[in-house]
Amino acid sequence: MSTPAEEKISRYESLLQEMWTTSAQYLGAFSVKLLVERVAWEISQDYKEMELLYFDENGISCAEIANAVKINPDIPIDDMFMKFISKYVEILARLLGYEQTNKIASKLKEEFPDFPIDPKEE
Amino acid sequence: MQTDLLLSVSLRYWQDFQDTLAEVVDANIYVFDAKGNIFSSFSKDVAPCKKINQGNTLSNEECINFYKGALVSLKDKNILTCPYGNRLYVYPLGSSVHKIGSLVVAPKNGKITPEGEGEKSFIAKANNISQTVNEVLKAILEKNLLGLRSLELNSIYEISRLMTSTIELEKVIDLITNSLIIIYRANLAFVGLREDDKIKIAKAKGKMGELLTGKEFSMLHPLMEKVFSKVEPSFLSMQELQNFIDFSDLKMSPEDKILLYPLWTSVGSVGLLGITFPTNAMSGEEIKNLQIYVNFAAISLANARLITRLEKEAETDFLTGLYNKRSIINLLISERERTIRYKNPLAVIFIDIDDFKSYNDAFGHVAGDVVLQRLAEVIKNSIRKIDIAGRYGGEEFVLILPGTQEEGALAVAERIRKSIAQHPFPHRNITVSSGVTMAQEGDSAHSLLERADRALYKAKRQGKNCSCLI
Repeated sequence: MSTPAEEKISRYESLLQEMWTTSAQYLGAFSVKLLVERVAWEISQDYKEMELLYFDENGISCAEIANAVKINPDIPIDDMFMKFISKYVEILARLLGYEQTNKIASKLKEEFPDFPIDPKEE
Repeated sequence: MQTDLLLSVSLRYWQDFQDTLAEVVDANIYVFDAKGNIFSSFSKDVAPCKKINQGNTLSNEECINFYKGALVSLKDKNILTCPYGNRLYVYPLGSSVHKIGSLVVAPKNGKITPEGEGEKSFIAKANNISQTVNEVLKAILEKNLLGLRSLELNSIYEISRLMTSTIELEKVIDLITNSLIIIYRANLAFVGLREDDKIKIAKAKGKMGELLTGKEFSMLHPLMEKVFSKVEPSFLSMQELQNFIDFSDLKMSPEDKILLYPLWTSVGSVGLLGITFPTNAMSGEEIKNLQIYVNFAAISLANARLITRLEKEAETDFLTGLYNKRSIINLLISERERTIRYKNPLAVIFIDIDDFKSYNDAFGHVAGDVVLQRLAEVIKNSIRKIDIAGRYGGEEFVLILPGTQEEGALAVAERIRKSIAQHPFPHRNITVSSGVTMAQEGDSAHSLLERADRALYKAKRQGKNCSCLI
């Protein structure tokens, strides 16, 4: 049986996967990989566990982060993932424009109503 | 070196380190960025500070203004007294060339007797703290910088591999603008392509990017001459860019800088690449790395443009700019498949210039070529955007009209015939005959063309300068 933290990470993984797939339709898989790499590096400055995020052209996996949480349950997963999502959406808005990003965010919010995915208009 | 501590150092880890150090040395420590803004919170509870600021973070306006005024111009270590009478021992952080912030060390109880023994020993302690903090900060910045360089170089390597194997111009331009925004955190990135003596912005992404796409400017403008007089990038202020392209809608921060890279290849310039970013956001090292990236971008753009041109040339009639025979047959095959799938009508018109041989014999082939070019213009101006026009051979033209019924096709043929008859061609009037046909069940592209050709010869037999339908 999975713990609440594992379930939470699994939800974040599904959201990141969906963000990856949807963004790739507009940007292409290569640019999305570049974007995830960039954001993961930036967030890992504050949350070392973000270095455990695995991704390649096919998508994202949070399995290693989930393993790290088993060893250290104090990892602030919500803060870490929310900062990742916020940074990702911020750069996505620069790449696609506010309106397009807002459409993507609205679509994601239908499936993940518990996560705030709101692009800021520049 | 980055001057913005918030961008370079993790506050979360820094605060932990600072608090531990403060605990060990038994003094209050806090850090400000280069602009005198608070970076970390107080490490120790200093009673008056905590009371005045209602917590461990600087929030009292008088205190904020005091630090801003005192720390921005701080060049060397100094002793200050805050508006509430506390003695503060302040140190610039970073190097003498790149100040990245200021460190404040204060006694735990807030009070110390000036120039007494207690102050002397506290200054010695504060000096040691300052040295430790500076060394730790330097190590963090160097590690972060290495991480960032590694990420940047790896990205450049991957992009260069992909760009040199991508031949679609649109994709190459997308890749360039996307990666500039992702890797270099550009506020705005754009690619301008050279078209004769003009530069046209093919794509701009980022802040206000949609307003910039499609803008054109002359390569003969002094600013452009300056940009293309060298290989290295040119720096522009936002005001210079706005004046240059007469673009007052482009509202950016006046502090933003714009970097313009000319895109050079062995065959000349292919365009330029521009990025805007806040002042000091890019280091000299980053600008050099960007040059490597720009060199790849220039080659990729040149390759993609060459292939696009060759593809266009392969399907275009050189003289008239219309589709050539091979393209017209391929397009007719596609249109025929579409009309079968969607059960839409499809009309084909064959047009032939009447007595063109006698025109050429009388006025020469150069004059004949002018007739063909002008006639192509008349045809282009007489059809819709979705219609397709091509030169089938010699003086024969073919029109493909998707979704057009018999009456509509005949009307188009007649409209073109009348326009040509009234057009002032050189030397004498020109007339055409047209054969019109509709796609029927079982038709192939070949059978359609063959029937349109028969309709054309029927028109010729009927005395020319007319249109016939079969």
